[in-house]
Amino acid sequence: MVQERRILYEHLDVPNINTFDVFRQYEGYTRFEKAIAEYQPEEIAQMVWDAGLKGRGGAGFSTGEKWSFVPRDIEPRYLCCNADESEPGTFSNRYVLEKNPHLLIEGILICCYAMGIETTYVYIRGEFTLGKKMLDTAIKEAYEQGYLGENVRDTGLNINIYSHPGAGAYICGEETGLIESLEGKRGQPRNKPPFPAVQGVFMKPTVVQNVETLCNLPFIVGNGVEWYTQMGPTYGDTRFDPPKADPNTGTKLYCISGDVNEPGVYELELGLTSTELIEVAGGLRGEEVKAVIPGGSSAPILTHYELDTRLDFTSLTLAKSMLGSGGIIVMNETRNIVDCLLNIMKFYAHESCGQCTPCRWGTPWVRDIVQRIADGEGRQTTITRPKFGVTESGRWGDTGETEEIYEDLDLLENVANNIANVDTMTWNTICVFGIAVSWPAVSYMRKFRPEFEAAIREGKLVTLPVAEATVPPEENYAYQQRFIPKEFADL
Amino acid sequence: MSDEIIQIETPFQFNEENKREFDELIGRYPVKEAAMLPTLHLAQRQEGYITPAVMKYVAELLELSVMKVKDVVTFYPMFFEEPVGKYVIRVCHTLPCALRDCKVVLDHLKEKLSTDVASETNLAKGTTDDGKFTLMKVECLASCDVAPVIMVNDDLYKNLTPEKVDEILEQLPN
Repeated sequence: MVQERRILYEHLDVPNINTFDVFRQYEGYTRFEKAIAEYQPEEIAQMVWDAGLKGRGGAGFSTGEKWSFVPRDIEPRYLCCNADESEPGTFSNRYVLEKNPHLLIEGILICCYAMGIETTYVYIRGEFTLGKKMLDTAIKEAYEQGYLGENVRDTGLNINIYSHPGAGAYICGEETGLIESLEGKRGQPRNKPPFPAVQGVFMKPTVVQNVETLCNLPFIVGNGVEWYTQMGPTYGDTRFDPPKADPNTGTKLYCISGDVNEPGVYELELGLTSTELIEVAGGLRGEEVKAVIPGGSSAPILTHYELDTRLDFTSLTLAKSMLGSGGIIVMNETRNIVDCLLNIMKFYAHESCGQCTPCRWGTPWVRDIVQRIADGEGRQTTITRPKFGVTESGRWGDTGETEEIYEDLDLLENVANNIANVDTMTWNTICVFGIAVSWPAVSYMRKFRPEFEAAIREGKLVTLPVAEATVPPEENYAYQQRFIPKEFADL
Repeated sequence: MSDEIIQIETPFQFNEENKREFDELIGRYPVKEAAMLPTLHLAQRQEGYITPAVMKYVAELLELSVMKVKDVVTFYPMFFEEPVGKYVIRVCHTLPCALRDCKVVLDHLKEKLSTDVASETNLAKGTTDDGKFTLMKVECLASCDVAPVIMVNDDLYKNLTPEKVDEILEQLPN
């Protein structure tokens, strides 16, 4: 059985680790001290790149590469820590904020030193009242101890951290939405380019990083790049094997919820399979796995045929899904996929920011279609197509060919693909919220089509046995036409 | 809504504690507008909800038009433009909670409080007659491992069953 490898969460359950004194006993802030004593800022940035750290917020973009886009000659530069954790199924940042906020502060200090940043805003979800309180107390302690403020530890560095509360909008987890919200406006995402690295908050170069990404920094600096890169998938011969040129290093805070016996956050090396993860989380609650959502509700669903897909950034991209924020939701054989999709679509219809027309109108439309199917009012038509042959009267003519069409399923795919097309990976919206809507909508529908058809045919929700409800991989192009990113095409 | 036509009966002002807090946080940002969300949070904590008077006051503090403040208030679900109960009960109903029977909790709360669920445009619908509770459904509260969860004002309650809900409601002071 796969063992947990606790790095970020190692001292999470130590009593009073949220206080400076206890944190200090567990090597707290020594990694930051090592960084300023032994390395130049540029060296730290290079280390992070070499370590292959990928952003843990959702997109999985290389952190070192992102930092390299920040122009170092424009002052001031900002760091925005994204603690607006609102992707359904994700809850790892909450524990860091509530139990070990000093670790985040240390990560921020290292990032600030590496990038020459003086001001950091931690954008915390409005609902995280306890997390904000804990972080504010920790920040205050750090100021008192001289790790924040002017002339940090007599190094001449000035670093300030401020916490900034959000107010309940999911879209503010998108980096440019977060920036707009931080500036005191509606959290409507901006067009890219210019990227936040060049023009971010207050139109200055900004690094936006997730809590988990920043928490990795002390360990990269403290234990070295080599130690860090040893963690990660060992490549076997599974169906979706990632190319070696694309590193997936380090651990991930896998948040597992739904039908497992012991839901929770498990810190594991990247690259284990869903089956292994379910085993770690106390096994399945129920008889059989029907579906697994691998990366928060935005990620395309995995069927029971795909349980051997490795849960790392590259493998899931190749499997036409994503690791996203690592929120894994497991569903057992009693769950109805139409019902699950309805729940998720209600979420997206509620959370669309209303800026782009395809998303503003498309998301409620998709929700309404799924609602209609779930209510047993899904539309079905029989069409007759001309087909020439010998007719009943013995003459050559149009014999007609009738075909059952599940009109609503075609409509659902059509509307969803016009918000964002999942096959070409192009979206008609400013931000990737569009793809976060159409990915689940289309993937659920394609992979569990028999269940959708049954709901329309029978006029009520029908939960089929797992084997019948799932379309096998060889029959469905949702599995086969995998979108291969350009950078992987030559590998 | 231009500034002139808003009818404000009783003007709003921060109390001393909040004024102090506001003065501290306004210094954190290079532009005043950025202090919008924390300021609105402070105001809502003091007044209970965002009245036109609050918007006008915040607009003056941040040197913006009232329209800009209204623009922000209407965008974020955590700001209320109508009076709410003393205790705002937020019931998470997104997928991980739904898989763990949040509907039972919600139905129990509806029955217990004999009220409907508030919608964003009609908070009164979910407020009890005595003004003590407002019941609302919210999206994921990021505690899926301890689902189903509810938030009562600032406190999160985990692994709920109808019995636990009863206990929580009894504990709340009047």
